Amino acid sequence: MFSVILYGRNDTHGYNLHKRAAISFNALAEVMSDPDDEILFVDYNTPDDHPTFPEAIHDTLTEKAKKVLRVLRIRPEQHAHLKSKTHLVALEAQSRNVALRRSNPRNRWILYTNTDMLLVPRTEGESLSDILGAVPDGFYQIPRFELPEMLWEAAFDRRDPAGNLAKLRDWSVRYHLNQVVHNFMPMKYDALGDFQAALREDMFAIHGFDESMLLGWHCDSNLAARLALYRGRVDTLIDKLFGYHCDHTRVAAANNKGRQTRMNNQDDYIWNVSTPYVPAQADNWGWPDVEIEEIKLDRDTSYERFTAGLDAALKPATAPYTATSLEWHLYEDLTYDLDHTLPFVTDQMVTYPRSTAVMVVAARRTFVERFLTAWRAMGFTGPVLVPNECEGLPTDLPGLVRGKFEELLPKTQMFIFEFGLATQHADEPVRTGRMAGPLDTKRLKAIAKLFKQAAATEAETRPPGRRTPRRFVGVNVIYNKFWPLFTDYVGANINPFCSQVLAGLPRIDPSLRGKVLRFRGRRAI
Amino acid sequence: MSNSGMLVRLSGSLRETLGTRRRPADDWAPGANGSEAEHLFLRALALFRMGDSQAAINLLRQATALAPSFADAVEAEGEVLDRSGDSAAARARYEEARKLRQKGRAGAPDRHFVLRQRGSHTAEIVSYTRVLKSLKKYALPNLARGNAYLADRAPELALADYERTLKLHPNSMDALAMKAEALSALGKYAAAIEDLDKVLAANPKSSDALNARGIAHMAIGHADLANTDWRAQLGLLDGRPAASAYVALRLADYERALPHLETMVRNDRRDAYWALYLRTAQLRLGRPATPAQSAADDEWVASLLALQSGSASGEEVMARADTAGRRAEALFQLGVASHASDRNAARAYWQQVLDLGQPALVEHAAARNELSRSAS
Repeated sequence: MFSVILYGRNDTHGYNLHKRAAISFNALAEVMSDPDDEILFVDYNTPDDHPTFPEAIHDTLTEKAKKVLRVLRIRPEQHAHLKSKTHLVALEAQSRNVALRRSNPRNRWILYTNTDMLLVPRTEGESLSDILGAVPDGFYQIPRFELPEMLWEAAFDRRDPAGNLAKLRDWSVRYHLNQVVHNFMPMKYDALGDFQAALREDMFAIHGFDESMLLGWHCDSNLAARLALYRGRVDTLIDKLFGYHCDHTRVAAANNKGRQTRMNNQDDYIWNVSTPYVPAQADNWGWPDVEIEEIKLDRDTSYERFTAGLDAALKPATAPYTATSLEWHLYEDLTYDLDHTLPFVTDQMVTYPRSTAVMVVAARRTFVERFLTAWRAMGFTGPVLVPNECEGLPTDLPGLVRGKFEELLPKTQMFIFEFGLATQHADEPVRTGRMAGPLDTKRLKAIAKLFKQAAATEAETRPPGRRTPRRFVGVNVIYNKFWPLFTDYVGANINPFCSQVLAGLPRIDPSLRGKVLRFRGRRAI
Repeated sequence: MSNSGMLVRLSGSLRETLGTRRRPADDWAPGANGSEAEHLFLRALALFRMGDSQAAINLLRQATALAPSFADAVEAEGEVLDRSGDSAAARARYEEARKLRQKGRAGAPDRHFVLRQRGSHTAEIVSYTRVLKSLKKYALPNLARGNAYLADRAPELALADYERTLKLHPNSMDALAMKAEALSALGKYAAAIEDLDKVLAANPKSSDALNARGIAHMAIGHADLANTDWRAQLGLLDGRPAASAYVALRLADYERALPHLETMVRNDRRDAYWALYLRTAQLRLGRPATPAQSAADDEWVASLLALQSGSASGEEVMARADTAGRRAEALFQLGVASHASDRNAARAYWQQVLDLGQPALVEHAAARNELSRSAS
């Protein structure tokens, strides 16, 4: 019957986002009763190494919400062409159009709202699917009622949507919450963007939201103006439904800078609108030809993929714990526990697209073998690229591609540099003061050289068309002699030694030292 | 003078009573529901805002007594009842308003979106007039109110709004196209064609403008030019079934209309005209007509279907035709029914369609093309 379209990203937009959003996702799912109903959440521009926002809060969602939720992930690389045109990190028009294009074609209605809304049917037991199924074609709005922060934060149970809706019915009377704020037509009510129900067919006819609105604000009013022209009327569902908004202004959101807030021009996008259509985007609104990843929370989850990878690559521990040490005199010892480290390596990968091609430059043969096993079992379809310059590594495993380093560079979307000892055995104790042998030194020298070259030339060697920098993962680069090397070239956070892993994007160090490092890296000096 | 008559006078401005000056942008003029009912509606809204719910309800009921299809007044009564605590009664009024707005036939799907709208738009006209009190120089409120007037069959008022929009935004092709539609509705077809030529010079792919120019051409007897525009429109519709079916019917090109009509009969069971037109196309192509699934909800279309199937006579159906448009629809179907056995009779019926029907009516264009074809 209807597709709800929401957008956001895994960040901290406004006060207590996680609670607001969980309350809202669950409440929206609660008022769905048609098998075709769905919530489409466009996760826009969350960094690649983060899970999407709904994945990050999945444990607070009801089973019903997880079942109806479809997450469409727009990667930073897909946003890169718009980055210079906007100060915002998440774009409403693009997000909502990507979802509209991919919405269930069996649904008659599209409902535009946000992740802080609760919709309460006025007749108990009636669902929003029932309501929308019974009303004639049109363009519908409802007024938004405000909910003080104390009420939703203190009294709502995220996983009890029915209880939350019952509380709203009670509070609305006890605390006089229901005040309709009328507005200028075509915005029938204030804050109209929190409930606009339009026919899917109409949204396609008018080419969706106007994607030239890149500065934030008024996207909802623009849509109202265009749909009001198209339909000739703005209808209300106030007799059937109340909508409550979880206030979140204790902390200003990124798009709210008070009087300094940059906005789309009201005159252009509301008062001088003269057509419902956006002919300039008629053929490409909603990015029809762009492959958008879809994530479900009720099956094939990131957790399931992650554990499938590790289960394939690791045998369970036989001892209650193992030990290592970061004492200073062990600085030169490059032994590490691969079984323990592998989960922290794969943790860096699992949120990336499954088609990612990763270059692995490593010393330990077993690292490559185990990583490859985990990589495949996690469902990645992209190749593991291993440069010919790395000696002693496997050559003929399925999914592994060997080639010249320089030829593999422009095929690589992520790098792993492993600084271990080629001669370390599986059952060898770690960090006991072991020195690198000649073979280890030779291999490590080659890895360091390739690392410097890859990091220093990263911008020039990207795959054709790629705009965003590629991520570097360093394995065994904490509290040893490769720590300074790695962090000279890669802007990594400080991580606990126990993880053995650092990761980040190539550093752009404008100092003389940075320039010298890049010069040396380029020339492999 | 009745109470409501007094209210009408009180609600009108001095300028309205005395003046002959050009109507300012923010002046409201009544539309489809009639002056008295709409003045009562306005007065009721004002009383409701001032807190006198009962008086508001009384006036709204008087308004709906005068104009029973005045959905905005019914809905406004629903709002008053809701705010007064009678939510059950309010819900019933909202439902009634929704049903009223669904009554009547929607405009042809190959036409501009404004001309596809149903029902009256009094509340919109009032609201946009209110916007114009603060924002006179913007396109949207002028254009939107013009559209509402045009949809409410008040083309003169619409024309004034479109002209005002064009004065403020001389390059607005959207306003110019709407001005042309208003001119066409006023019977000023040559002027409409002049404006539509400009619109199409700026945007040759404007499907709506091609349709409108085709109708204007047809109205002044330029059937070839009309058909050229509609063929061009058909090429731009990208197979959209509803609009394509109507354009093909205007062209009396039943072969092209047929697959689109079949699609629409499957997709839209609410509009019985699809079944009627499908059977029309089949009859004209000499193919067996699809049996009508069931009696149509719309009594008028049910009559036409009965005429097609021979279960109602031409006289009976003509007697039920209560508007010129319906008489034209019935005459067109009589022509279709006669064509196989008596071509002269069919031509006589179709000639009457031209005499009776508005040029925008799909049957008008189809009749004209039928006559041209059978003459050649």
